[in-house]
Amino acid sequence: MISFIINKLRYLKLLNANYVEEQRKQRAFQSKKSENSLQKLSQSLKQNLEAIKNQIGNNYDVIIREFCLADQIEVALIYLSGMTDHITINENIIKPLMLYSGLPHYNKPFEITQIKSSILSVGEVKQYRSFDEIIEGCLSGNSILLVNGCDEALSIVTADWKSRGIEEPKTESVVRGPRQGFNESLVANTTLIRRIIKSPDLKVEAMKLGKKTNTNVCIAYLHGVANPLLIEEIKRRINRIKTDSILESGYVEQFIEDAPFSIFSTIANSEKPDSTAAKILEGRAAILVDGTPFALTVPMVFIESFQSSEDYYSRPYFASLIRIIRFLAFFLSIIAPASYVALTTFHQELIPTPLLFSMASAQEGVPFPAVMEASMMGVIFEILREAGVRLPRPVGQAVSIVGALVIGESAVTAGLIGAPMVIVVALTAVASFVVPAQTDSGGIMRIIFVILAGFMGIYGIVIGLLGLFIHLASLRSFGTPYLSPIAPLSISDLKDSVIRVPLWSMLTRPRTIGWQDPERQEFRLKPSPPSEEIKEAE
Amino acid sequence: MKRQRIRSSIREYSRLVIICSILILGTTGCWNRRELPDLAIVVGVGLDKVEDEEVTDKLELTAQIVKTSEMKSGNKGGGNSEAYWNAKNTGNSIFATIRGFTHQASRKLYWPHNQVIIFGRDLAKKGIQEYLDFFVRDQETRLGVWILVADDKASEILEVRPSLEKTPAISLDHLLEAQVATSQTSAIKLNEFVNRLLSKTTAPIAAMVKISSQGSEKSLLVTGTAVFKADKLIGELNITETLGLLWIINEVKSGIIDVECPESNGKVSLEIIRAKSKVTPEIIENKVHFKVEIEEESNIGSQSCSDNLEHLDAIEKLEEAQIAAIESEVRAALSKAKRLNADVFGFGDILHQKLPSEWKEMESMWDEVFPTIEVEVSVDTNVRRSGSSRKAVGQKEE
Amino acid sequence: MKLEKGELSSTQLMFLVAGFIQGSLLTLSFSKEVVKHDIWIAAIASFLLNLPLAFVYLTLALKFPGQNLIQINDNIFGPYLGKLVSLQYICLFFMIIAANLWFVGDFIITFFMPETPILVVMIMFTFICAWAVRAGIEVFARMSFLLVLMTSLTALITFALLLKDTKFSYFLPIFEVPIYDFLHGTHILMAIPFNEVFVFTMVIPYVNKLKQVKSSVLYGLIIGGITFLIVVIRNTAVLGPISNIVTSPSMETVRLIDIGKIISRLEAIVAIAFLVTMFLKVAVFYYATVLGIAQLLKLRSYVPLVIPIGILGIIIALSYESSIQFIYTATNTYPIFSLPFYVVLPVLSLLIAKLRKLPKQKERKAQ
Repeated sequence: MISFIINKLRYLKLLNANYVEEQRKQRAFQSKKSENSLQKLSQSLKQNLEAIKNQIGNNYDVIIREFCLADQIEVALIYLSGMTDHITINENIIKPLMLYSGLPHYNKPFEITQIKSSILSVGEVKQYRSFDEIIEGCLSGNSILLVNGCDEALSIVTADWKSRGIEEPKTESVVRGPRQGFNESLVANTTLIRRIIKSPDLKVEAMKLGKKTNTNVCIAYLHGVANPLLIEEIKRRINRIKTDSILESGYVEQFIEDAPFSIFSTIANSEKPDSTAAKILEGRAAILVDGTPFALTVPMVFIESFQSSEDYYSRPYFASLIRIIRFLAFFLSIIAPASYVALTTFHQELIPTPLLFSMASAQEGVPFPAVMEASMMGVIFEILREAGVRLPRPVGQAVSIVGALVIGESAVTAGLIGAPMVIVVALTAVASFVVPAQTDSGGIMRIIFVILAGFMGIYGIVIGLLGLFIHLASLRSFGTPYLSPIAPLSISDLKDSVIRVPLWSMLTRPRTIGWQDPERQEFRLKPSPPSEEIKEAE
Repeated sequence: MKRQRIRSSIREYSRLVIICSILILGTTGCWNRRELPDLAIVVGVGLDKVEDEEVTDKLELTAQIVKTSEMKSGNKGGGNSEAYWNAKNTGNSIFATIRGFTHQASRKLYWPHNQVIIFGRDLAKKGIQEYLDFFVRDQETRLGVWILVADDKASEILEVRPSLEKTPAISLDHLLEAQVATSQTSAIKLNEFVNRLLSKTTAPIAAMVKISSQGSEKSLLVTGTAVFKADKLIGELNITETLGLLWIINEVKSGIIDVECPESNGKVSLEIIRAKSKVTPEIIENKVHFKVEIEEESNIGSQSCSDNLEHLDAIEKLEEAQIAAIESEVRAALSKAKRLNADVFGFGDILHQKLPSEWKEMESMWDEVFPTIEVEVSVDTNVRRSGSSRKAVGQKEE
Repeated sequence: MKLEKGELSSTQLMFLVAGFIQGSLLTLSFSKEVVKHDIWIAAIASFLLNLPLAFVYLTLALKFPGQNLIQINDNIFGPYLGKLVSLQYICLFFMIIAANLWFVGDFIITFFMPETPILVVMIMFTFICAWAVRAGIEVFARMSFLLVLMTSLTALITFALLLKDTKFSYFLPIFEVPIYDFLHGTHILMAIPFNEVFVFTMVIPYVNKLKQVKSSVLYGLIIGGITFLIVVIRNTAVLGPISNIVTSPSMETVRLIDIGKIISRLEAIVAIAFLVTMFLKVAVFYYATVLGIAQLLKLRSYVPLVIPIGILGIIIALSYESSIQFIYTATNTYPIFSLPFYVVLPVLSLLIAKLRKLPKQKERKAQ
């Protein structure tokens, strides 16, 4: 026993030593890198080209075009074909440079700013001195212009690549409302938001993340409405990320979230620009990541998972009804299998008598206890769901038929599972899709509740619910309590929680998020036909 | 550095402990887990007195257990198998008897869905307090069960094959709920029975159930009221007397009153729609008076004579006939109760509630006072509607 | 260093007080045995009698803004005697945790799972309370709104469903019990739960708007008192004399709900409402204990104390041998035992504070 502890301690010491060694190596590498990045261009075109060819020359898609400016000065253009717009390069860069005839004949050293200001008819041009920035720009789709005799290079933005068009978002479809969704291009996404919020207060700030991927990340927010501390905090957390790759907004989410060990996500995501814009208008900030159509919004409160953009485009009664149904469905999807297990295993006295007889007869020949049945059915359902997502479309119909009908039906006929259990699981499954943002957390909670119910019946479920509630009440998302407006009760915010009051009475933004600029609209906007006095006056 | 190492090793250990304890929780199983197929669901229980060689008084308990697989199989009695099984056991005390069932039944008896408790006549005469105590104290049994007294033996009642429902107990339950329509018996649940038992003066009552055999078919009949003194059965009220009792205690919800036609021979059936009663106690010259005021509303149900009942005189006569009928029922109940010396109406409690200071003196002597009480009955009836037709079917056109 | 960094709003305080009082809805049965059907009068009387005492507690708490009970005692009684008094209070709160834990365990085991060892039920309950206390008072103050709403709705809905079975004649004759029994019953109701509002002196310093504390606590008491009254009236009107002999009148009453055979067997709702508000009550006492000990020992944070106190609480709770002993203690011993703590000492503290003109001295010292 003691030797076990001693061995463990030695192992940990070794780990520690390794870690220290690693840190030292990294620091050395960093300093070397910074040395490299400070490496600047030289005046000689040949040397610059050599250095660049060393780094990226061997690639299939790197084009290096050398030509002469006004037949006198040698220039070279480096770009990645496929990421650049050939027409711009041909017409707006190479052509004007080749045809330029306005070189002064006096012997003044040629400034590259002249090209930038007088020759290139391209929109965005930047000037760089170091190799790092040049290469980074080239890999982002810019064309690099090197001039013999200048130690600066121009990075001309000519980025244009094939990407998916603006399509209807596949994960969030609505009955009423715009059907545009974000796509993988960051510029297109910011454009979509800009088209909705045409206000100068909308600020879109960019940064790059990821050592190897150099992904562009934008933070969009409304200046004057969003809390400046929030924006600072977001920037701080994003700048903290030092990783190799940012492949999707989920990476960013997992690095900046408040409670990494909680099953509830504290950052919302959406594929639709109108819901993202609505959230920005409430005082939240959106984080857009290049390469993914999913935009993140912070801070997130629990109620948001139950709100969909359709709620606001339809009239209040139906929207409120649907909201209530969503809450019920969510609650049902978590509690239903667990309560079925609890009722049939521990508390048969709580089942009404006629129902008890049918349930008892259904379970007569079944070999498994209710807990195992529920867990098995839950697992089988998750398998079916996952298979449904992954399988290729032609096979889809067959699998769903096999899964749902054959397995369920035959299992009941064979006496493996009782019929009420199949009904309960099917209902749970369908209900779990009503609130898409919480499907994953709902799945985990379902399993926990089934185990608790199998352990202690209704008492276990109540304890589980209390524990869940405590956890939710103690979560904060970027400073906002997760359960507002219900848990720190704020009555004015209840107007958009379980029910949705008419739009003309939603006067203020949510108090916990948008208190910088609370007023959203004016008073007395309730619509009504013109009053009698006006009618008579006419 | 050292603290970090120790802390991380403690963390690893605690993780191990937590995992082990979770696994242990899964293996021991839970103490109170019962799967549905493990239950012997009792829907009705009958208690009888039997004689034995050694002890004269032994309890025989008949538990009607549901066979759930048969319950679902389509229609009633598909084939020979019944949807229930009557298990019998004898013993000295009720708890021992119930536990003794484990010798016969493969499952333990499960009480929360019990619908009726039937006491055999002999057992009821002996006293049922100890059995009631079990049914109140046990946490599986519920207070909402019906209490019935069997005409002879409770086990026979539970054997009668029902025609509409699947088990006799459930059919009894539906029967008792339907009694509201005829008000011929006082359907009492356990909590009301025990409330009456707890009172020092009120006599508990229960519905009586008989087996009526029409030819070879047996069926259950719930008529009349059993009257107890403390916990012992002392007598019965027939249908008329039960009606009178129900009038006084304000339990008449619906029913039929047959009166004579005002002019010719025949009967008019009046359907009681609403009834209300109020009892006021008074003490006049050291004698206890109770004033019973009954208000009733009825509709004309059917008439066998062809009188024209459409004018007010006829209605007045009908009302008077009703008043006479009700009064006679009430008087019958009162006289029977006085003969049995059992305060089934709760007069003592009403005196207690309204005139508590006078009550204190009379409480202990209620047995002597009760037969001497004077009851003044005043009835007010109203015939409201005549149904879908205005004149009788047999009335000839003039 | 401030031990508790959270802040409550006055609405949260109100609902916390209401939930705290509703947590004792099932302990009504202790007083019912004594007072029988006059319990509604006893409930109203104990509520009214408690109001001046609550006023005393609140004045005491507000005289020393930002200071919880331990610090107040230090101020009033001096450093050594004050610590002794605080220690006694902490022991009292701790014993109340143990008693309530046992009560919860006993309730669940009697009505739902007879063969389960009470230890398991108590461990699960303590686990939840410990988790909440570790998360801080803000967390369960936030939860209190929903929990109070749930319990109030339960009381109202069960009352509405039972209206057809109520017989208001069960309340007559009014005031039948001898005066001594009535006072005894009122005293029990005051001890559990109304006087226990004293524990909120540990919580009040963390409310952000001190001006509204008085009204919040008053409203909370009113909400709790009204729920009490509804439950008491429902139980007596539906059950009648049986409610004096059964262990838990609320459960038996709700068991009688049977509408169309389908809306029946709703006693789970009562159990859930009870568990949930009892959780609030135990959490508040737990928090007070842990905070008090941390403050006495001048610790930086109370978090490491939570689990040991929980374990100790379970062990002490196991020392109750039987439910009969527990009921006897709650009915006879505890009300008298709590008198010095809830009546004598606070009044004494207030008098001493007034006589010594205490907060003013502090201000002078601070200047």
